Amino acid sequence: MDDRLTPKNQNNSIEDALHSYPSVPMPRDITANVMSQIRATPAPRFEFTRNDFLLAAVVAVVLGAIIFGFRSLPPHVLLQMRIQVILLWQSFLVNARWLIPAIFFGLAAVLAALTIPALIQMTTHRQR
Amino acid sequence: MAQSEHTLIQRSQKGDHDAFAALVDEHQRYVYNLALHVIKDENEALDLTQETFVRAWTALPNFKGQSQFRTWLYRIVTNLCYNRLPNLRRSLTDFGDDVMSDLPDTHTINSNPAREVESNEIRKYLHQIIDDLDANHRMLIVMRYQDELSYEEIASLLNLPLGTVKTGLFRAKQKMRLALERFYSEERWTTA
Repeated sequence: MDDRLTPKNQNNSIEDALHSYPSVPMPRDITANVMSQIRATPAPRFEFTRNDFLLAAVVAVVLGAIIFGFRSLPPHVLLQMRIQVILLWQSFLVNARWLIPAIFFGLAAVLAALTIPALIQMTTHRQR
Repeated sequence: MAQSEHTLIQRSQKGDHDAFAALVDEHQRYVYNLALHVIKDENEALDLTQETFVRAWTALPNFKGQSQFRTWLYRIVTNLCYNRLPNLRRSLTDFGDDVMSDLPDTHTINSNPAREVESNEIRKYLHQIIDDLDANHRMLIVMRYQDELSYEEIASLLNLPLGTVKTGLFRAKQKMRLALERFYSEERWTTA
């Protein structure tokens, strides 16, 4: 048998080729190009824009309107609202007995669904 | 006086352009080498190298020095390569992570002059075979054999399981082995 075909000699040839695989030299220096691009790009700074001021003004106006509205409501309407809130809260507490297990089961189902891609990948690799 | 890389990085993080230019000067050939071996187009590889450094500049405040600077640059250039070659990422994960026994990394040098000439010829042929391998294999070979990164470093850089990196390199070597067998059989055929 040709001794060049022995696994050891083949491995040697392959390793030799891999270790001597040549790097490619740079065709030209790109430092100047990179630096001019960097200088042209302004460094990110923290600053308020006109939109930030506009958004803050809208939020302030809405909050002010809500507070002013509540303050100007007659006392019996406020009392009615408070009763409704208490009733809503009580009804929530009664239904929460079912809500909490439902949330847990929902989360478990989502987590189980997340494992499906990994399981598919594992089975396809095993088939290969 | 040459400054240490650590100092240059610190100065660059504070916005020193000269320090960053020194880092670009030092690392551009490694980034370009990897980009060219993956993309196989000189102009696109140059563009990609340039883009890598521009992105590195903007992301530099986030560099904490947990990995080597060059490895960090490789992460950026690899992500850019994924953008250019959308199938590259999938082809890497498709290697699977069946742990395979790797070929030994040691090799002996021939002292026989006749064998030396022959091995030069084989080496050239195998280099051509590496050039013709898929981009995913070439990327792993450049990282492992030219940049001498460990399997663990490559796995962390490419965000792949260690087994996948080993399998990828194993498959590349298998392809080279097949090419070598073909080379010898063709040579025997022509000399017979």
